Amino acid sequence: MRRGLISWSRAELPDAVLAARVARAQAAMAAAGLDALVLYTNNTRTAAVSWLTGFVPYWSEGLCILPRTGGPMLVVALSNRVRRWIESVSRVERVVPSPRIGAEAGRVIAETKINATVGVVELESLRADVADGLRKAGSGLKVTDATALFEKLRGGADAAEIALAAKAGTIAQRALACVPPKPDTIGTAIAAAEAQARALGAEEIYLAVAADLARDQRLVRIEQNPPALGRSFAMRATVAYKGVWVRLTRTVLEGAPNGVLAQATDQLAAAVSALPDDRGFKDCASWLVEGCRVAQPLEPLMGSKVAEPLRPAAGSVVSVQATIRIDGHPLVLGGPALLGAAGAPASLLVPPLFED
Amino acid sequence: MLAEERLNRLRSAMGKAQIDAMVLYGNAWQGDYLRYASDFGILEGHGIAVVTRDDGVQLFLDSAADAERAEVETPGADIHLVRDVTRAVSAWLDRAGNRTTAAAPRGFLPHGLTETDSGKRLADATAVVDELLMHKLPGEVATIRSAARLADEGYEVFKAAARPGRRQYELVADVEAFLRANGSADNFMIIGSGGQDVYGMAPPSQRRLAPGDLVTTELTPSIGGYYAQICRTLVIGEANAAQKRAFSVYREALEAGIAAVRPGVTAADVARAENDVFRKYGLGDYVTNKYTRVRGHGMGLFADSKPHILEDVDTKLVPGMALIVHPNTYHPEVGYMVLGDAVVVTDTGCEVLCGTPRDLFEVPA
Repeated sequence: MRRGLISWSRAELPDAVLAARVARAQAAMAAAGLDALVLYTNNTRTAAVSWLTGFVPYWSEGLCILPRTGGPMLVVALSNRVRRWIESVSRVERVVPSPRIGAEAGRVIAETKINATVGVVELESLRADVADGLRKAGSGLKVTDATALFEKLRGGADAAEIALAAKAGTIAQRALACVPPKPDTIGTAIAAAEAQARALGAEEIYLAVAADLARDQRLVRIEQNPPALGRSFAMRATVAYKGVWVRLTRTVLEGAPNGVLAQATDQLAAAVSALPDDRGFKDCASWLVEGCRVAQPLEPLMGSKVAEPLRPAAGSVVSVQATIRIDGHPLVLGGPALLGAAGAPASLLVPPLFED
Repeated sequence: MLAEERLNRLRSAMGKAQIDAMVLYGNAWQGDYLRYASDFGILEGHGIAVVTRDDGVQLFLDSAADAERAEVETPGADIHLVRDVTRAVSAWLDRAGNRTTAAAPRGFLPHGLTETDSGKRLADATAVVDELLMHKLPGEVATIRSAARLADEGYEVFKAAARPGRRQYELVADVEAFLRANGSADNFMIIGSGGQDVYGMAPPSQRRLAPGDLVTTELTPSIGGYYAQICRTLVIGEANAAQKRAFSVYREALEAGIAAVRPGVTAADVARAENDVFRKYGLGDYVTNKYTRVRGHGMGLFADSKPHILEDVDTKLVPGMALIVHPNTYHPEVGYMVLGDAVVVTDTGCEVLCGTPRDLFEVPA
């Protein structure tokens, strides 16, 4: 559930940027013979609709319909009373609240063209009763999968997306900078980071902790009965800002020899620079590269536990995390990175550097 | 252990319904069915748990962060990080052969899965799991009680944070930090501020609080995955006569709703008790879906569980059901107001879980 600031900043996500994305999508639709493009959103699979319209549901679900000409519209399962809020945070021509979003979307599309060809992004993973509703409402509609079309469109990030990712990374960095080297409890450390990120306008923040790196480097959420902190611990901030998600991971190491963390950060940066080639991560105990291809904001693309790796697109924003061992210390570090376009090296957008 | 009790109960229900294997879908919005079976609180991506009557639990996830967390948090399940949940579960079902399979909530399953031969054989067992989700075990009620106490404390933080000039999202930041520090991994929270122009609540905006504002919130922290809600309204400064007069209707409606909660009555009876108070004061238009969504709802592993408290919902209340009773709606004189308490149905009536006074609070302007 989203509990942070959801707003459309025209300065950071100008109307012209969203208009250009819509125009690119409509050009691709025309080339593919699609009359309408349909994209699903809920508070987990937000990225496709937010990329096109800026809309992020805090709760519930919706379908975005993009016709071949004209602006996008939203059919949402949220109540009519939040229509005005939706219009204020999104670049859409029309908002239609309906508890049966599939059927309503099918009806709206069929109203314009009874035998329209409809491309559904991620048709296979679309909620079954939404897909059924879409098909039944417009029995003349020809429904096809448009995932590949959208993924190609989405490809590399535009300048606005890169700037939003950098801002999200900066929020994460400032949040993790609030964590003292020796916090009284994990709870106080998490609270400090959480408050900072939300006060800086994060749409959402998830904090995860590996409480004692000497024992276990896996990052978990902290609930009741938190474990005691070890001499070294890691904390990861996953931050959403204006629809763009990144992760930043910091290790706090008590009594570490000078320069160990800087050395590890340099090693991470070097590994990142070779991406999408993964040779730089070969010596890492574990590593992960996540990015957005379609609707999942942070999809695992490559990594030590990813069975079916996918190369991130040139010019795309990814989040990288690695466990690096230096002088016997396991260090978990990560940050958002930008893959170079046209053969240029990738680089960290926000390195996990802190004044310790 | 509560998770084990739930799993045993699910398996027993599967036995009675002659289901060999159950497929349970979840994401961060609707994660209760998945959590009931696997005890995993899904946060990113989506996932499916497959539970059999005689083997372990298989958990298929498409988020690497969630999969890593699941390895630690749900040691009893086999965790599978997969690119395509549909394909992975479909393959599992194919291997399951002729076993009787079912799914919940079936309508949430990925379309691609329901189109496969094995997917088409999945019976809809949503009602079977709904019964378990609604009729809670004593341990579940105890956890909801803890979450309700945290909701009370969270509202105190909210009140302290509500000052003129502060932006809505800054208030929420204070509350969220408090909840994280106190072991609540998640919270459903929306907010409204202003006057007659405010028709509901939404995520926090950049709007600054101003003297005279009504500030409303639904605050719903979770403990161990279980949510409990509180709804309250405060005024920045002194409440005026119209605000006080309006609020008295909400208080009377909440009291009437809570008085109606007991075993054997329906959700509709509770809604009617609340709405009759509004109708008595000539405010009947404001209990329709033009101005309000529900008059309360279930609570548990989902913040907005069944049953919904509406005049057309005939679900019977039974001991162990946890509900929020909230006659929240728009008032034509003053704007949107909320007031709601979490309750649990007992053998003779209900236990109110919220301890915060049912007042229209005033904070310094």
